[in-house]
Amino acid sequence: MSTFELCRGLLAILGMLAGGCVVYAAGGLPSEAVQDPAMQSLRASFLRPTAVPQPKANPITADKVALGKLLFFDPRLSGSGAISCATCHNPGLGWGDGLAKGLGHMGSQLGRHTPTILNVAYGEPYFWDGRAATLEDQAKGPLTSTKEMSMSLESALGLLRSTPGYVDAFARAYPGQAISLDTVASAIATYERTVISSDAPFDRWIKGEDQAMSQSAVRGFVLFNGKANCAACHSTWRMSDDGFHDIGVRDTDRGRAAIMPGIVQLEHAFKTPTLRNIALRAPYMHDGSLPTLTAVIDHYDSGFESRPSLDSNIHRLGLTATEKADLLAFMDALTSADAPVTLPDLPR
Amino acid sequence: MSTRHHILALISTLLATAAIAAEPVTVTQKGLVFTPNEVTLVKGQAIEFVNDDTTAHNVLVTGDGVSFNGGLQAPGGHVKYTFTKSGTFAVGCGIHPKMKLTITVN
Repeated sequence: MSTFELCRGLLAILGMLAGGCVVYAAGGLPSEAVQDPAMQSLRASFLRPTAVPQPKANPITADKVALGKLLFFDPRLSGSGAISCATCHNPGLGWGDGLAKGLGHMGSQLGRHTPTILNVAYGEPYFWDGRAATLEDQAKGPLTSTKEMSMSLESALGLLRSTPGYVDAFARAYPGQAISLDTVASAIATYERTVISSDAPFDRWIKGEDQAMSQSAVRGFVLFNGKANCAACHSTWRMSDDGFHDIGVRDTDRGRAAIMPGIVQLEHAFKTPTLRNIALRAPYMHDGSLPTLTAVIDHYDSGFESRPSLDSNIHRLGLTATEKADLLAFMDALTSADAPVTLPDLPR
Repeated sequence: MSTRHHILALISTLLATAAIAAEPVTVTQKGLVFTPNEVTLVKGQAIEFVNDDTTAHNVLVTGDGVSFNGGLQAPGGHVKYTFTKSGTFAVGCGIHPKMKLTITVN
């Protein structure tokens, strides 16, 4: 199949899947097909923003980032002395932990899969159920949870206040302010807002480099926005609407409904995760129950549980083997070659 | 009744009449955004939320002693809420929390 034929086919598929609103005019050059307004508009909707959101209440500074990185990687801020933020949000594992469900204090299993912190600056609210409105609030959760890092606030602050390197770092980052849970969370959140994925092949394709993605990945992009309907929730450049949906995972966890009762659709609803670098973060789903992206596609194709709270965008897809492979190719194209993270020398 | 009382009564009547006469304001939910995202009302005026998206939404109104949950709002669905208290209110969507609207009721 020529490039032109491929483009014509993709646009025709897109038109059909969009309810016939796209009319492809046969003929013309391949570049004209690629420049089809519908495709261009769709591509533009996935452009990365040029700025990283920073809250007015906690503006970014280099000193806050540096301090936050120290705190993020310091296991001494846990009751066991063995768990840091990076234990579960490991940069070598896509800023996750590679486990079905996270491990907390003394190796106890937590209730849900560890979400990545990649591109978390853009993704309020936080946690699978959205119970933290800000990243600062989110950072306080694991630090103070007896199930997770399990260190008393007094002990953690005592450690920081008695460590000269930390005293200096806090003085630079928060002049005139005490070392407190608020400044600790502020610094960690500020550091986390610097964890941004770099350009993936998909970004280069979005910006007009037509050869940046394979033909299979391009077909996967069309499916993602059409027949497979992934973009109904996995929207924007991060492939997340930051919304809450029941996707039919067989699990008794009530998700967002536990903190926001009274809306049927929030039963078993969890926050839409970003798909950036998703190929690096198996296993999948809020409970880590699906080991591969192939299993995830099969779930959406026909493996979900139908129930009253199931999101209205989910229905049996009837994907072919080729279409599933194309979706996989597209998700692979979301993987960026990010710079390695260097571990900090922790203050003494 | 003094002249002052007459004036106050007149103002009160005019305000009440204005509130009764004020038409509901329409706010659309489209593209995961409330439009407009700031609205000023008079006490007694309503907002009609119209879901123009292809996905379900929800209307949560909070602030100044008000807590209203409009439940599930299917695509094309309408939710109407009358603001009977003055103050500042936040409107959100429990399904898509990034959707935010501020209401000022005078």
